[in-house]
Amino acid sequence: MANAGKITGPGDALPVQAGKRTNPLAHVFDELIAFARSRSMFMLHYCTGCGAVELPPAMTSRFDMERLGIQPMVTPRQADILLVTGYVSVKTLKRVILTYEQMAAPKYVIGICSCTVNGGMYWQSYATAKKLNDYMPVDIYIAGCMPRPEAVIAGMRGLMEQIRTGEATAWEDYYRRYDHYLGNQQRLFGETWQTPTDIIAEAEHYDLIGPETRGEHTALLEKHQKPLEALQMQLTFGELERRF
Amino acid sequence: MSTGKELTRWLDDLLTEIEGIEVRRKSNKRLQVDIAPDALPALLALLRGRASYVHLSAISCVDWPNEEQFELVYHLWSYEMQSLVSAHTRIPREPGVYLSVYDIYPPAAFYERDIHEFYGIRFEGSPDLSKFILTEWDGPPPMRKDFDSEAWVHDHFDWQDYNPEWLQQLIAEGGGIAIRADEQRFSHHDDARDQPAVSQREPERDRQSPNTPEQPS
Repeated sequence: MANAGKITGPGDALPVQAGKRTNPLAHVFDELIAFARSRSMFMLHYCTGCGAVELPPAMTSRFDMERLGIQPMVTPRQADILLVTGYVSVKTLKRVILTYEQMAAPKYVIGICSCTVNGGMYWQSYATAKKLNDYMPVDIYIAGCMPRPEAVIAGMRGLMEQIRTGEATAWEDYYRRYDHYLGNQQRLFGETWQTPTDIIAEAEHYDLIGPETRGEHTALLEKHQKPLEALQMQLTFGELERRF
Repeated sequence: MSTGKELTRWLDDLLTEIEGIEVRRKSNKRLQVDIAPDALPALLALLRGRASYVHLSAISCVDWPNEEQFELVYHLWSYEMQSLVSAHTRIPREPGVYLSVYDIYPPAAFYERDIHEFYGIRFEGSPDLSKFILTEWDGPPPMRKDFDSEAWVHDHFDWQDYNPEWLQQLIAEGGGIAIRADEQRFSHHDDARDQPAVSQREPERDRQSPNTPEQPS
């Protein structure tokens, strides 16, 4: 475990850890997968605030985030990184949580700007959430008001390094301590708050059930939870049908 | 332009004829009218129907807690006269009920819904006073002066712990603050004038950050 975070050079023996799987090569591939994963990331930028203006220079030709293997992605289902750029109003926070829960694991959250750290200049505003990591686990904060593209790139490189060495496991925390995050969400949105995603079932699927996955807040959720209904599939061509 | 000026003068004369309102000409293009709340809808109907003030550009609200009043300001714009009339009226803060002007200006529905949400004024006859912008809000109307935003924030949010080691980590990686506060260009003047403050500040800084690595110069 001691060398879990150590960077292995090309000649070193790869660390083998005792795990559930018996295949000794499985962890070799884990390393390889982590290496590959850190170099091919799709980023969903949820541009909530002014920090978003630093992203176009970071993504386009001047600072060129794509040379790090980071590309923008259009949908949360295919994205690896959720980039929250700037203040998150209470209303937006709902959408950010919905977006985050839709993303497939492993997923990483970057909070850009001071506002995601502690509210920033909106610290006394009733409408703005203060600590993003109260509501979802955050891997890296890039502080600044606003951080320059160099800082954004540096933060991205930090995240890449954490993914490669296997340290970026904040997303597991959402499953292990779901009761804590749900409690903070309920504190803002009321006790009837629910999302379409069944986090506890996902935690069971990922084998990440911890002692704090269930608690008083999830009990409250189960009390109010309405089962999801499939959307009605319906196609109508009103005007077209009349014409042809 | 001359017809516009004539019309403006005509409007001034007309409005000063009406009893119970106070007309103040602010500039060529702005006219302030103070009017009692029961006469305001009639004035708006008059300005819209007879004087081409067809655009209600905003309704704004001011809270005067010491006078126990809300001030409502109706901003009316005329495209033909190129001028703005601000009709000010004051209603009692309790119970905070007033008439809707939706029947005169349909866009007023939005402004009234907004004011209802932020100040808690109920507009009789407004078509929809449901939640508008603060859909997640269940507290008191937040723009009232007696709403303590800071206390509400302390009740509902946690604060990030202060981690000075994060800054140390940044500096160790070669980033962070390159120019210290007392070395900045704008602080030289104050330091030269105010020497004791500097001597007090110096040991404090050294005590707080004993492990600060040398700055790359």
